[in-house]
Amino acid sequence: MRTSTLLTLGLLSILPGPALAALTPEQTAQVIKTLDERQKSVGDYKSLAYMESKERDKADVVYEVAIYRRGADQKLMLLFLQPKAEQGKGYLRIDKNLWMYDPTVGKWERRTEREKIGGTGSRRQDFDESRLSDEYTADYEGEDKLGAFTVHRIKLTAKEGVDVAFPVMKVWVDVATNNMLKSQEFALSGKLMRTSYYPKWQKLYSESKKGEVWYPQEMRFYDEVDKANSTLIIMKSVDLRPLDANLFTKAWLESKSR
Amino acid sequence: MGLIDLQIAARSLLQHSKRTGFLGAAIASVTILMVLLNGLIAGIDDMMLRSATTLMTGHVNVGGFFKVTSGAAAPLVTDFQKVMDDVKGEVAGVDYIVARGRGFAKAVSDTATQDLILGGIDIRTENGFRQVVQPLSGNLDDFAKPNTALIFETQAKKLGVKVGDSLTLSAPTARGTNNTADVRIIAICKDIGLLSVFNAYVTPGTLRSLYQLKDTATGALQIYLKDHSTAPLVAAHLREVLEKKGHRLMEPDPQPYFQKLMTKVNREDWTGQKLDVTTWMDEMSFISSTLKILRALSFLLTLILAVIIVVGIMNTMWIAIRERTREIGTLRAIGMQRGKVRTMFLLEAALLGFGSTVFGVTVASLIAIIVNAAHISVPESVQMFLMTDHLNLAIHPGGLASAIISLTLLVTFAALYPAWRAAKLQPVTAMHHIG
Repeated sequence: MRTSTLLTLGLLSILPGPALAALTPEQTAQVIKTLDERQKSVGDYKSLAYMESKERDKADVVYEVAIYRRGADQKLMLLFLQPKAEQGKGYLRIDKNLWMYDPTVGKWERRTEREKIGGTGSRRQDFDESRLSDEYTADYEGEDKLGAFTVHRIKLTAKEGVDVAFPVMKVWVDVATNNMLKSQEFALSGKLMRTSYYPKWQKLYSESKKGEVWYPQEMRFYDEVDKANSTLIIMKSVDLRPLDANLFTKAWLESKSR
Repeated sequence: MGLIDLQIAARSLLQHSKRTGFLGAAIASVTILMVLLNGLIAGIDDMMLRSATTLMTGHVNVGGFFKVTSGAAAPLVTDFQKVMDDVKGEVAGVDYIVARGRGFAKAVSDTATQDLILGGIDIRTENGFRQVVQPLSGNLDDFAKPNTALIFETQAKKLGVKVGDSLTLSAPTARGTNNTADVRIIAICKDIGLLSVFNAYVTPGTLRSLYQLKDTATGALQIYLKDHSTAPLVAAHLREVLEKKGHRLMEPDPQPYFQKLMTKVNREDWTGQKLDVTTWMDEMSFISSTLKILRALSFLLTLILAVIIVVGIMNTMWIAIRERTREIGTLRAIGMQRGKVRTMFLLEAALLGFGSTVFGVTVASLIAIIVNAAHISVPESVQMFLMTDHLNLAIHPGGLASAIISLTLLVTFAALYPAWRAAKLQPVTAMHHIG
């Protein structure tokens, strides 16, 4: 059902839509900034996600992952809960380093922030707070139609000196809600690497933010290089209540696999 | 002990031709098995050296890692020309030195993907490469053209590609940014064992563009020596030299560079350039465990055979002594000393051992020559361990000599106790013996 919806979205996106006035550079930057602001939780964030990974010549794998974030100091932790073989595996960001813990060998490995998570098509930034306005410069490309939605198509180019997984992105932002519905990520060579769809958005009231926090309830990532690979992430629950003060430590993550 | 003793021993062996033939055949069979088994292991060793030093490593490598941040490392030697200048003239017995790019990428065809270890090579400077890598289709000369790739037949089969087809190589740069390069396959080469399963080659320019590297960076300087056995000494000397010239060096660690990159370097808290001097044995340590198991199995088999020989010889000697008790008594009665009797039996065993092992070694060598000439293909699963697609038995003169000496000594040793017992017999008792 979802695939057919996305197919329709894709097909409709190539049809011409009603023309909107082009956004100025300031307005374009504001759209991206708003996108970030709406997802910022300021306080703590905890969610439980199901992640289904499809890879060529491999059996589909479904993961259950707990995501912990602390907006104040940009901390992030991912803890794999399922399947059994991956239980206790986790990622922890301390300062600018992303560490991966493998309970089968009991060792921590430093990883680049830009690598794939758990070998799936997802990356750290898919679970993290959106920082598009900090990392990219936005250029308005035009207005577009994505199914029934009228969207802004914006090209994002990585800022000088900022390390990102994809130096160029294109995002399709819903004019009505300012939610990102689709994105495409490009390699340095200009080759399209990944297309992502965000068909469902949810919001929650945050006490710490004193406002609403938006999050994509469903994310679909399609590998454009190896087209047989895709990843689906569904956020089952999100909790914005404060987390334990000492949660973002290696010891805490290690304790989960004992 | 002289020629006469030898003549007596030989005559005695000939007199008991049935027993001698049976025992000789057993010793010769063990010799053949031992020589062929050692030939198989030596063959794997030879192929490993040949394929490894063509596909992955020099006899000595000056590689290294560059870390932009402490969490992002790449197998790089920056400003490699300076390192080359520091190395040149410091090593004796160098055949040639090449700068080779190192990298990893996912190769994507229309139908499949494969993770590959990439080598960035300039075919014009790689003297040894052309001698070992044999194209099945395509032309190695085309490999000098930009954005071209050379792959092996197993990879071509897996990716479903032929010469002229395109492949997309996808890899993150040293800063973790994703990049791709489209390359055209110019040659599909014959497999060279395990290493050709995951090693593929592109031009240095393609590798640099994929990883966004400057022209002054390379993966490693691969040093080829006239005598590869001096590699550990050369590596140790180079470490000293490079350290004195102000380069930061990694601690010697017998692991291939990609294992260090994945398990060690990213965990360490440093940034910038560190050089890493390794030998071809270090770079191949990930498959040496297979060889160790094979060697251990071979040793165990040889040990079992040796025990069987010792028991067989001792038993046969006992029978011989029983049969020849009256003869021993007569010899003792006419004045032969105990020591001489002992020597006579030992000489018989030594002569039997020597003759049988020489025969065994000759037969084994002939078998090896026939097997190597027949180019017998082995199954794909076995190719991984043999490092080649056909059976290769490497018979070295040193190995043959050691088989002859060790087995002759073993046979002589087995005869020691029976010979000693024979020498202890009293002449009168021995002469009255009814056997």
